[in-house]
Amino acid sequence: MALLELDDLTVRYGGRARAVEAVRGVSLTLDAGETLGLAGESGCGKSTLAMSVLRLLPASATIEGRILLDGEDVTTMKWGRLRAVRWTTASIVFQGAMHALNPVRRVREQIAEPIVLHADTPPSAAAVGKRVDALLAQVELPVAKGEAYPHELSGGQKQRVMIAMALACDPRLVIADEPTTALDVIVQAQVLSLMSRLVAEQDIGLVMISHDLAVLASTCRRLAVMYEGRLVEEGISTSVIADPRHAHTRSLAAAFPTVGDPVYRYAPATSNELGLPEPPEPVSAGVEPLLRAEDVRVTFTGRGRREVTHAVAGVDLDVWRGEIVALVGQSGSGKTTLARTILGLQHATGGRVLFDGEPVPASSKGLRAYRRQVQLVLQDPTSALNPRHSVYESVAEGLRIHRVGGDEHAHVAAALEAAELRPPEEFMPLLPHQLSGGQRQRVVIAGALALEPRLLVADEPVASLDASVRGEILALLLRLRAKLGLAALVITHDLGLAWNIADRVAVMYQGELVEVGPVDEVLSNPRHEYTKSLLAALPTTEATVGER
Amino acid sequence: MTSPRALAWRRRGDALAAGWRQFARQRSGLFGLGLLVLIVLLAVFAPVLTDREGLNVIKATGGPLESPSWEFPLGTDRQGRSVLLLTLWGARMSLTVGFVAALLSIGIGTVIGILAAHYGKWVSAGLMRITDFFLVLPSLVLAIALSTVLNPGIGTVILAIGITSWPPSARLVRAQTLTIEARPYIERSRALGGGHLHVITKHVLPAVLPLVFVNTTLAVGSAIVAESTLSFLGLGDPNPMRPSWGSMLRSAWLDSAVIAGAWWYLLPPGIAIAIVVLAFTMCGRALESVLNPRLREG
Amino acid sequence: MSDILTPTEEALAEAPPPKRGGGALRYLLTKVGGGLVSLALVIVLGFLLFRVLPGDPVLTMTRGRPASKEQIAELEAQLGLDKPLIAQFFDYLWRLLHGDLGESYVFRVPVTQKILERLGPTLLLVGTATVIAVALGLWLGTRSAWRRDTRFDRVSTSVALALWSTPTFFLGLLLMAATSGWFPTAGMVYSDTPPDFFAQALDIAHHMVLPTITLVAVVYAQYQLVMRSSLLEEMGADYLTTARAKGLRDDLVRRRHAVPNALLPTVTLVFLHMGFVVAGAITTETVFSWPGLGLLTYDALEKRDLPLLTGTFIVLAGAVIVMNVFADILYRVLDPRVRAS
Repeated sequence: MALLELDDLTVRYGGRARAVEAVRGVSLTLDAGETLGLAGESGCGKSTLAMSVLRLLPASATIEGRILLDGEDVTTMKWGRLRAVRWTTASIVFQGAMHALNPVRRVREQIAEPIVLHADTPPSAAAVGKRVDALLAQVELPVAKGEAYPHELSGGQKQRVMIAMALACDPRLVIADEPTTALDVIVQAQVLSLMSRLVAEQDIGLVMISHDLAVLASTCRRLAVMYEGRLVEEGISTSVIADPRHAHTRSLAAAFPTVGDPVYRYAPATSNELGLPEPPEPVSAGVEPLLRAEDVRVTFTGRGRREVTHAVAGVDLDVWRGEIVALVGQSGSGKTTLARTILGLQHATGGRVLFDGEPVPASSKGLRAYRRQVQLVLQDPTSALNPRHSVYESVAEGLRIHRVGGDEHAHVAAALEAAELRPPEEFMPLLPHQLSGGQRQRVVIAGALALEPRLLVADEPVASLDASVRGEILALLLRLRAKLGLAALVITHDLGLAWNIADRVAVMYQGELVEVGPVDEVLSNPRHEYTKSLLAALPTTEATVGER
Repeated sequence: MTSPRALAWRRRGDALAAGWRQFARQRSGLFGLGLLVLIVLLAVFAPVLTDREGLNVIKATGGPLESPSWEFPLGTDRQGRSVLLLTLWGARMSLTVGFVAALLSIGIGTVIGILAAHYGKWVSAGLMRITDFFLVLPSLVLAIALSTVLNPGIGTVILAIGITSWPPSARLVRAQTLTIEARPYIERSRALGGGHLHVITKHVLPAVLPLVFVNTTLAVGSAIVAESTLSFLGLGDPNPMRPSWGSMLRSAWLDSAVIAGAWWYLLPPGIAIAIVVLAFTMCGRALESVLNPRLREG
Repeated sequence: MSDILTPTEEALAEAPPPKRGGGALRYLLTKVGGGLVSLALVIVLGFLLFRVLPGDPVLTMTRGRPASKEQIAELEAQLGLDKPLIAQFFDYLWRLLHGDLGESYVFRVPVTQKILERLGPTLLLVGTATVIAVALGLWLGTRSAWRRDTRFDRVSTSVALALWSTPTFFLGLLLMAATSGWFPTAGMVYSDTPPDFFAQALDIAHHMVLPTITLVAVVYAQYQLVMRSSLLEEMGADYLTTARAKGLRDDLVRRRHAVPNALLPTVTLVFLHMGFVVAGAITTETVFSWPGLGLLTYDALEKRDLPLLTGTFIVLAGAVIVMNVFADILYRVLDPRVRAS
């Protein structure tokens, strides 16, 4: 008998009149001890599917079809039985452990809670304590961490606590909903390998949900792909990835390039008919760089003079005209601070930044002039646009600040055209919420282009976009460089992105650049330990995670 | 082709209409608004509808504490004046003080809140220190102190209420401003070259104003209660030709209306205060649920 | 936000747990220090309000009353008005430090003595009313948020709003009129009650019924509305889904997870609204002639007794400030996140 069997499952939200179908007729089976990856972009219904297994959907949702958990239909269970089944038969590792843990209770109590709750006879405090200690040991956390509150733990540690909690009642099925989304590459690899190991050791069935095919392929034997509420493809992971049949699977697979594979070099996944420009000529050294950072240092002083953080500890970096440089590092490596310093949004405590041979001015008037030359593209286009401003107003904002003369309307139209929002007139009156994520990022880029800058600083420009849009935005950056000679400094945690578009890569670690050089060289033949560990942590389709 | 500016205005009009539809769907808010419109109209047209001379103690025509009759639908006070007339004219005073004091208080609060959030370290720390101090001070005690030592009159009452009740709105506006300023679009605006004035006027103010608007609606209610309390304690406008609901209640209390069983003297002003404040509160809460999407039914 | 403030994973894993002791002491000192600064400000404000702002305090005090030249001269000498302002201020400070707030103009006794005499009844009334109001407000707020949009929610929220909109003194007068004869409406104790403890206590309780109901009625509504909205805010939180997924019953999810989190902002607001309670106490005591600080304030402002007013102002404002320092400390005990930062 299958451990989990979904039979023609349909989930609707809202009343009868305006119902939205989040899941449409999905059938799936999972045998005991098997691992299944569920892939799809945001809004494809994968999380709804996961929540429906334990009937955790909001009251506005209606379920049709059957959900057989260990042979019992969850949809018709009485509340009492459902509560007994929750966490003992199936448990969930939630997305974003930061919010999924109660902030005012110690993690030990939170792990112990289901153990006490589901015990037939009330267990002794000592027995519960021993069980929690064992669970913490299983997830490789020191026992002392049990006394911590969630905010005292790092993201990876919180996710480990979530896993310990999920295993507390020896469930037969664990559902992991984007368990590593907010984590850094290296931590992600650690958590994934831990989860794979525990699931295999304890013969637990695992359903893992993610937007990242590589993550799923490295952990799960089988792979299912969802698109607009439907299951579009299902099969053994390796074969799905190697030979995707559905177009959507293909775009998902292509979005995460294999670093080192020349097929993906200067070739982000795009279906745009404009195609991709030819790889650029290597930049000749000797000429003056467009941007030069000389021994830049940024130091933050916390409360009490002793808490000093060297966010940027002496960085030298050049960006030549028309060059795309990727600044790679984990969160906390200081890359965003460096970018802010280059933009003049953050004061450097030491060193200097030269633009076109001139030091970046410190006066507010000089800075304003400087900012016409250097523009910023932020990570999340949804929050980077004022929700009350139309596309036209957002793009024209820079023009108005700098009192650019001439026909404002024509300038805005040209910028939108350059960002490939066509026809521009149709987009002008729209508000951000009427656009898709990719279109919003194009508006942000258009707003930057309107001022005809020479350097674009892009902070994780595609990190919050869906996989299929990612390639399109990256291709746009490549075309802009080819057409306008625009240089770009792209900040990212994603080595694949660097491989996709950058000429040179600079690897940042604890405030310092540990390795700088041409992308092909650095990523194919890394010299610094940190670069090596970054590369090793990349999830691969060959399921070799964790063997570092 | 229409110009973008015209489009922007049309969009604002549409948003307003949509907001109104949202508001109109809430029965209590609509009811409150209707009540307010009625009361404000009555107060504004009181001089047209009635003769102010009826407030004059010397020219009063009724006997003391007469019960309701055809001539005096709500009876008379100790001086023989019509309670209905007093209540009607009291509305003018109470509403005036309520509106002006609320505007004063919200104005101070908004300016301090935005400045404290927008400008870093020292300005913010100083302003918040002051705000916290006044937030903790019991405002009625401070208002009593102010109106005791200043010359009694409508101006003193407004001042006493206005400058003692701004801290909560300063806190609220500051919090909202901080939330807005943490949004990446502010950083984008700065990176585009926008200065303080640009960021405040183009991004912060439009986002904070709805909150300020809701807050003003709620503050008028509180200010009316505060005015009635000060008047009840004998700190209101002493001119008998300018009655307020609070001062009517004071006379009712001093004239032992409760013991004399003169309910018609006690109830009208008190109920009037409760209704007006409730109406403002209902309007404010309905507005809040329209303007604050988080509170909308999900 | 800059991503720089989060140390790397490895660094955190190795880092020793945050030192609790030192942080706690510093927190305590900052909060107590802040409270002391506020108290000092209140004292300065007391001087500014009652000595500087009136221009001529004696004129204010004798407004509306005939006063002979000798009386005025005596008052001026008593208040030290013949000296320059700065000297007056230091004189005022010096005396205050020795617990001397001057002599009441009306009662002809030291202000301190009068205030101490009235402190007990106020503490009794405000304390009883606050405890009842907090319990009632939190309970109703929790229930109405958890059953949002039910009849219970609508009715209890409407009642709270109506009570919140009614001025305290009007409510008191109404209660007085409605229950005429059942409860005493003035004072704290009848003069002819036998002096033994039980008879006295019973009589005081009897006198307390109406003022307590009045004060509770105007104060609890705030607590209910605050608790309701803060619980509604928590109800969308992810950790509640976690709790449900663990198989917890609905009431356990509420009791163990939602309410403790929702209580945090409520606690702060309950204390921040202490000023509101004080305002309620002033009018309630005035209406029911309850012999506490509120009535004393009213008597003082009626007679323009500036020394007495200064005294009640400092004591009432000071009490609220002290309560808020307590609130800050309590908040730290309740919320581990504050402890860490």
